[in-house]
Amino acid sequence: MTDGWRLFKRAAEWLIEAVVRLCGWSAILFIFAIFFFIFHKTWPLFAEGFDLREFLTSARWQPTSTVHPCYGILALLVGTLAVTGLAMALAVPLGLGAAVYLSEFAGGKTKEILKIVIELLATVPSVVWGFIGYMVLGPIIIAVTGAPVGVNLLNGGIILALMSVPVIVSVGEDALKAVPDSYREAALALGASRWEIVYRVLFPAAKSGLLAAVLLGVGRAIGETMAVLMATGHAAQIPHSLLDPICTLTATIAAELGEAPRDGTHYRVLFLIGVVLFVITFIVNLTADLVVKGIRTEKE
Amino acid sequence: MRDDVPNNTPPKYLLAAETAEGAVITLGSADSWEELLDLLAGQPENDGVPPMAYRLIRTAETEAAVKKKPRREYFANFRGAGGAGREDDGTESAPWWGLDHAAANLAARRFDDLPPLAVREWIRIRHKEPFTPGALERRKRIKEAVAEYVFLAMTAALVIPIVAILAYLVVKAWPALSFSFIFQNSEDSQAGGIWAPLVGTFFLVWISLIISAPIGVLAGVYLNEYARDNWFTRLINLAVVNLAGVPSIVHALFGVGAFVLAAGMGQSLLAASCTVAIMTLPVIIASTREALAAVPMAFREACWNLGATRWQTIRTLVLPNSISGILTGVILQVSRAAGETAPILFTGAALFTSFPYHLDQPFMALSMHLYAICTQLQGVSDSVQYGTAVVLIGLVLAVNGLSIGLRVYLRSRKKW
Amino acid sequence: MTAYSIQTRDLNLWYGKFHALKDVTVNVKPGVITALIGPSGCGKTTLLRSFNRINERYPSVTTKGEIEILGKNIYDSDVSLSELRKSVGMVFQRPNPLPISVYENVIFGLRVHRRRGELHRRQLDAIVESSLRDVQLWDDVKDKLRTKATRLTLEQQQKLCIARLLPQKPRVLLMDEPCSALDGEGIERIETLIESLRHKYTILMVTHNMGQARRASHECLFMLLGRIVEHAPTLEIFLNPKEKETELYITGRYG
Repeated sequence: MTDGWRLFKRAAEWLIEAVVRLCGWSAILFIFAIFFFIFHKTWPLFAEGFDLREFLTSARWQPTSTVHPCYGILALLVGTLAVTGLAMALAVPLGLGAAVYLSEFAGGKTKEILKIVIELLATVPSVVWGFIGYMVLGPIIIAVTGAPVGVNLLNGGIILALMSVPVIVSVGEDALKAVPDSYREAALALGASRWEIVYRVLFPAAKSGLLAAVLLGVGRAIGETMAVLMATGHAAQIPHSLLDPICTLTATIAAELGEAPRDGTHYRVLFLIGVVLFVITFIVNLTADLVVKGIRTEKE
Repeated sequence: MRDDVPNNTPPKYLLAAETAEGAVITLGSADSWEELLDLLAGQPENDGVPPMAYRLIRTAETEAAVKKKPRREYFANFRGAGGAGREDDGTESAPWWGLDHAAANLAARRFDDLPPLAVREWIRIRHKEPFTPGALERRKRIKEAVAEYVFLAMTAALVIPIVAILAYLVVKAWPALSFSFIFQNSEDSQAGGIWAPLVGTFFLVWISLIISAPIGVLAGVYLNEYARDNWFTRLINLAVVNLAGVPSIVHALFGVGAFVLAAGMGQSLLAASCTVAIMTLPVIIASTREALAAVPMAFREACWNLGATRWQTIRTLVLPNSISGILTGVILQVSRAAGETAPILFTGAALFTSFPYHLDQPFMALSMHLYAICTQLQGVSDSVQYGTAVVLIGLVLAVNGLSIGLRVYLRSRKKW
Repeated sequence: MTAYSIQTRDLNLWYGKFHALKDVTVNVKPGVITALIGPSGCGKTTLLRSFNRINERYPSVTTKGEIEILGKNIYDSDVSLSELRKSVGMVFQRPNPLPISVYENVIFGLRVHRRRGELHRRQLDAIVESSLRDVQLWDDVKDKLRTKATRLTLEQQQKLCIARLLPQKPRVLLMDEPCSALDGEGIERIETLIESLRHKYTILMVTHNMGQARRASHECLFMLLGRIVEHAPTLEIFLNPKEKETELYITGRYG
């Protein structure tokens, strides 16, 4: 080997490492880029003296009114929270129950099949879920409850629950699986039944993992766009019953960005909603991540 | 024997046995509690069939009648031996071991505040066969069965309706599904023919894959092979987690801000693909890392010991050994990209556009098409809508099934 | 009434196709410590794990033959696994306290085997104290009853694992290399502890360590390739083994 060849190889190695490093850092780059580009669009609003207080506390969302446009997102926030809360009320018990069943009770073939089914469910596109809510669940809700419209809070809640269940099940099952088998064996050798093991040993041992599962489900539900856009009826009002149509932060952006005149106030406010969403999901995901980290450090 | 008591008066204490048939047989009598316990301890060991229970009875001087219910109930293994020195309390869960053990404990009155028996009172000592279920055990089994069925029902409550819904979609879509539905374009947007959006989705997937796969795989390599465990790496991990959690509509806003406007791409296939690529990046990063982490450290150490550099080790050993896992992640990215709607809503997807597509022109995509014919356009027949939905689901599930199949196959072949 | 706590007759066990125990017939006496010795993979642990039927959690296990504990065949149809395991306690190779508080670890068995509300706070406190005193752990942990048991030192964890068997009033204690995760002094203390328990319980201990078998046991069972080769008082096995294999093993030629 000549010296030149060796030098070339060293340079190549250095170059490759640099590229790999750059790609490794790309995630940070993109997170900052996302925040920058969205926030950048909203900047002129504050220069114009946009009323941030009204934005956060008013329930009047009338961006297209020619006389007096109002940009209060309280109704949208409440809509997001309501539909997420309803979805979680349905999905968390069922999802964690299914996780327990898969990890502790089901065996062999049943378990494999159920896991694959649930994994496949996770990949059904959100627009298809929206379609199901709109075309299938809506008429059922009208028939059962006699509501005037089938696309409402209840519909969106059910659809979102079905969508977030796979995340909850798979993360929850991972959390239970991560509990060392020696704990199960110890409890079994003391005469505990499987239910007693679940309830007295696994729940305390896996509680942070299960919490992380729930938080990831919440994150997924808050950020979901197409399904809630199609299934909740899109009415910017604070809901008073399960059968009221609602509107969420995500759906508002999806529905109105196309029609809002570029660089008008409405357009910029939609970007500001994007910032709000970004911050909310960032906090939820950060919490989930910290919870998971908490488990890991405790194990060591 | 005392002489002043007439022979026909009943004794003060009685020992009786309950047989399996329900009869009560008097075994002997005693004048004092201590004597009675001696009598109990002296009962034969009954290697064959022990009685169901012994009764220790105190009767009146003149009549043999006793109360209906025993004052206390204890448990002992009548066939046991060697209980001495143990602290069993004669309950069902800690029975005495042998009759002498029972007698000794009753004499010591150690485990409860049992006062001497009053007239007509009695206590029962039941046989407890070792390891057989007690009263609590039955409840425990019921609980266990209930728990299992409740969890099963919860699982079923998730899986069955969803599978039923998907089946319903297929049934409703059946009339529309045909060769020409998929492979032809419709003359107007009302009728079937989803070839154009299908091709658009195909382009979207491939272009986004070309962008995200190299970045994602190399990022995974960096995180697993190069990154040290410090705050900066933790920051990257945090960024990956959050990138995965950013709502799709926020990605759409980013795409509009960065690619459509700032980069001047306009609403185009390229802008949409870039947006989707960044959105699906975390999927590839995560699965690449997982695949690389599964390669045992010892392989790498062996390679380094031979003098290979880091990159040589990665290229010749780590990547070939983890390619299958990486591939699964890439396929997962494909299925996700194919289904996304929100991020392409404002970055390039159009309701209707002409064939062929160009990188700098808007395009049609299947997911967007489904949204459009469902909510934006009037008068599209139901079966066409259902048909489009079913084709989209079928596409995504097929790609995913491929990924799962690949994983199962490779796992069965894995040698370490 | 028999003089033995545990008797097996022609016990055979398979893991799938692997024949792990072959025609094992042993009689274990109460009141003495019996050590199970033999090279790795000879079936010691498998035999031990048959006595509380915890082997059965692996679906591929099949068993043939009889095991009689305290005069009762544990494969009888009226035997409840939970009751069996209550009476036949097990200590594992690696200390495995449950990830709950020290206090809850000790009374875990009672929580599982007694009706809720059957035992009052004060009784539970007393049981916890006496169990921990029995294993000489009380003074170390009396101020840490509410801390997670997994935070204790390994030796304390192993003592706790013995302590948590006691409230259930077991009759047999199975110990699977109870000292293998401990250091020298810890080993000595655990051995003393086990010796102090032997009068109340039948103790069966798997060990890899010849010195330990010699120090801490009264009888030894030497196993090889799934068979019992020799069963004799410890001194006899070490000083005057009858079988060639036993002699080779205890003098360190293999194993």
